[in-house]
Amino acid sequence: MYGVMAEFDSVQALVDASKQAVTAGYTVMEAYSPIPIEELNDIIHKKRTTLSRFVLMGGLSGMAAGFTLQYWASVIEYPMNIGGRPYATWPAFVIPSYELTILFSALTAAIGMFALNGLPQPYHPVFNVERFSMASSDKFFLVIETTDPRFDHGATTRFLSDQGAKGVYDVAA
Amino acid sequence: MTTDTYHSPESVSGLQKLGIAAVVVGLVLTGVGYSMTGLDRFYQAYLVAWTFWLGVALGSMALLMVQHLSGGAWGVVLRRPLEAAASTLPVMAVLFIPIYLGMHDLYHWSHEGAAEADAIIAAKAPYLNTPFFLGRTVFYFAAWILISQTLLKWSKQQDETGDPGLADKMAYLSGGGLVVYTLTVTFAVTDWLMSVNPHWFSTMWGPLFMAGQGLAAFALGISVLVMLSKTAPMSHVLTSHHFHDLGKFLFAFLMLWTYLMFSQYLIVYSANLQEEAPHYIDRNNGGYEYVTYALMALHFAVPYALLLSRDVKRGIGSLRVIAVWLLVMRVVDYYWQVAPEFHKTLSASVIDVALPIALGGVFLTLYAMRLKSHPLLPLNDAGLEKALTHHVH
Amino acid sequence: MANNVHGHGSSSASLNAPVLAPGHDFETITEAVAQIPLAKRTPIGWVLGFMGAFGLFMMLQAALGKLVMTGVGIWGNNVPVGWAFDIINFVWWIGIGHAGTLISAILLLFKQQWRMSISRFAEAMTIFAVACAAIFPLFHTGRPWLAAYWLFPYPNTMGLWPQFRSPLIWDVFAVTTYATVSIVFWYVGMVPDMATMRDRAVSMTKKRVYGVLSLGWRGSARHWHRYEVASLILAGLSTPLVLSVHTVVSFDFAVSVLPGWHATIFPPYFVAGAIYAGFAMVLTLAIPLRVAYKLEDFITMRHIDNMAKVMLATGMMVAYGYAMEAFYGWYSSNPYEQFMIWNRMTGPYAWSYWMLIAINAGMIQFLWFQKVRANLKLLFVMSLFVSVGMWLERFVILVTTLHRDFVPGSWGMYYPTQWDFMTFVGTIGLFLTLFFLFMRFVPMISMFEVRTLLPQAKVKSEHGHGN
Repeated sequence: MYGVMAEFDSVQALVDASKQAVTAGYTVMEAYSPIPIEELNDIIHKKRTTLSRFVLMGGLSGMAAGFTLQYWASVIEYPMNIGGRPYATWPAFVIPSYELTILFSALTAAIGMFALNGLPQPYHPVFNVERFSMASSDKFFLVIETTDPRFDHGATTRFLSDQGAKGVYDVAA
Repeated sequence: MTTDTYHSPESVSGLQKLGIAAVVVGLVLTGVGYSMTGLDRFYQAYLVAWTFWLGVALGSMALLMVQHLSGGAWGVVLRRPLEAAASTLPVMAVLFIPIYLGMHDLYHWSHEGAAEADAIIAAKAPYLNTPFFLGRTVFYFAAWILISQTLLKWSKQQDETGDPGLADKMAYLSGGGLVVYTLTVTFAVTDWLMSVNPHWFSTMWGPLFMAGQGLAAFALGISVLVMLSKTAPMSHVLTSHHFHDLGKFLFAFLMLWTYLMFSQYLIVYSANLQEEAPHYIDRNNGGYEYVTYALMALHFAVPYALLLSRDVKRGIGSLRVIAVWLLVMRVVDYYWQVAPEFHKTLSASVIDVALPIALGGVFLTLYAMRLKSHPLLPLNDAGLEKALTHHVH
Repeated sequence: MANNVHGHGSSSASLNAPVLAPGHDFETITEAVAQIPLAKRTPIGWVLGFMGAFGLFMMLQAALGKLVMTGVGIWGNNVPVGWAFDIINFVWWIGIGHAGTLISAILLLFKQQWRMSISRFAEAMTIFAVACAAIFPLFHTGRPWLAAYWLFPYPNTMGLWPQFRSPLIWDVFAVTTYATVSIVFWYVGMVPDMATMRDRAVSMTKKRVYGVLSLGWRGSARHWHRYEVASLILAGLSTPLVLSVHTVVSFDFAVSVLPGWHATIFPPYFVAGAIYAGFAMVLTLAIPLRVAYKLEDFITMRHIDNMAKVMLATGMMVAYGYAMEAFYGWYSSNPYEQFMIWNRMTGPYAWSYWMLIAINAGMIQFLWFQKVRANLKLLFVMSLFVSVGMWLERFVILVTTLHRDFVPGSWGMYYPTQWDFMTFVGTIGLFLTLFFLFMRFVPMISMFEVRTLLPQAKVKSEHGHGN
């Protein structure tokens, strides 16, 4: 078994239930919603993502790659006099370096986001609950997982029902 | 609707005193500088100082019109500071007089016989001649004062009567006013700044200075709002969300200015034409290259890197440091645009610092007086309620 | 910024129109959007439209096939106008693409909620427009299969490198980056909606395809948090990117020494023109689309009004560019500059210059009036004219500068051939073909974003206002 899932009708009910669960001492849980809810991450996970640091590094390496490429090609490998300009024509080199900075940053942001989220992921236990197909349109779910030290099938199920859940389901692993 | 009247706190009187002190200090320093270097440097430094402070007023007027058109919480909280800056325009017009007196020193094309000696000046004579130049100046100021004073008058009426029709009237005037602003400022900077070298021309010139004016206007507005946010009544109003928005605009204008500067440089550098390249040759030699490097590092790179951070934009103190810093760098930029046309080697004098301080003192005194005499928020603005609860986003 | 759903205090009707019509909840939004690609029956109008578009696309293939077999000689460009329809159409298409990125990126940064329901199809428009644009430089090489050899920096057998001081190689970097980032941004924005489609699809095939595209998205709090951060970062990156792309395109002309091309104002003037043309194309697509698919609740009069205003503002900037070119052309006192402006206004191509002035500086002035902005039919026609006007702008820049060179002995005229026209019209077919496929298979409106516009999407704040 993976955990116990509670279904809610509204954003507010899910946020309230998550808060209650944290207060009750549950730690290993996850909320699912059809829209981004800024507050949920702060309530449940409390940590902001480190994605922007990766993106900064990606961008800087793009910039370095751009300048190195152009410098090497135009100054070292095949120097050519173009209208008396210095071989290292930095104002011109700014442009490709700039584009590569953005390209590398953007790819880092997108790939990094998916990688940190563990996507693509072909299988996940929550999809075993039939009602969960509503999680992408208008229902809200909170899953307390079995790995939670405080997890107890009966008590956790009761706790979730008490939070005003419209339904509580067992999630097969 | 709120019943608060948002009277200005003591700090605004402090700002006024600072302005008066700056006038005194600036004038004393100007005297010192004048005794050292004479009239020659005076007019050049005056042109830098006057176009800079006039630019702050004009940029504020433009942003005021933008906020009348777009609305938004940033505009509501920034409106009174912008209006205060725009209210200085009549005095700025009077301060043109020294430019008129210094025309002979500033504008080579105004010399008797300049056209006969130089074919390019001769070709431009239908535009660059003293009567037309002065006539245009009168026209620019007439337009700016008419627009700004009308907006200020309606804004005051809006405070008093709450007539909802006034918002529409201000929006209509602002739409047309922005068109007038764009055209007049383009020609004004062509007259006052581009024509110090009658051979130089660049179609980017107007946008370049408009971006600089917007940047300076935001920088001043943010600095003053930070000061106001320390005490009641504005301490209850201004939140980190407001400053985050304003910080984004400051960042956007900084990027815009950099973008226009770099584009102009790259285009001139690549084409390498004899009529344009000297503009940059002058600024990359004779010691001016250090000013160029300083602009790249301190007007662009450092503030840019700092403003990238969300915490810096939300941090009220850090934002003020950057804003004030950018105002200083704007003066350096004007200096960089003007000074190499008069002295081929870099030589700063006391007067280059004294005049921006003196004129800044005049500006700040008027600014504080205006800010003091009106509520710090537009009381009957439809967006006020929204701006006061600006926390969700 | 003004992020109010219900407009701020102005008396005009369109301004007060909401960005989402009242009476919706999470389910009705999802249903209205998701049912279009999920419908079993393909609407007959779609089939007819697609067939027309595909016919034009076939014509493009014929024209390009002929070009590859014969050579670029079948096009009308020849000395002195060595660069004509290929670059005009390239710039035209790239410009049109810009509105998509602007809507999705810049307006996201400034939290403009009205962008949410138009961002998806505007981004699709961007990608398809860039695809159309890419065809021209690629086929102008005559042998597109060798393009990589000429364009990309890699250690090839001749030991040669691209010329990094040339704007044409900057273009390669800018446009490939732009295409890549646009596709990434578009796809990332679509993943949560793909999950919705997966969960709602009835047929097994659709379930599988949308399921693969959704990457197993399950909307967990952690996912959403990283997703929102990534979206903001991508928006922050796309904004300077989109500005740089048309800037680099403008450098193709501006860093040369030709009068009419070499002007320092080109970068911002080109960017403004791109946004102007792009918003016109968004209006051209949105006005019929919202009626055909009954999306008036999502693409409201507020959207139409805002887009018309953006079109007016950017159109004014473009007109400012024309004015500056004319004034400084004279002020420069350079006889070649002065001749170029005079030739534009009175030479053999004066008709194109005055038509462009009539549209881009004249016609758009009607957009000052709220009544005009609220008249959908008129606005639709105007948006088509803007596309024509912006095409003419590139025509004027290209042809009037090249056809009368510094040396009168090398003057000439430019006449496009039937192949030029077939290629150009054919790319419109390619664009529409892709767009029809998009309408049929992809949710046209970002469902998860529009859901957040609902009041029930908000969480009650505990601390009261002011943080």
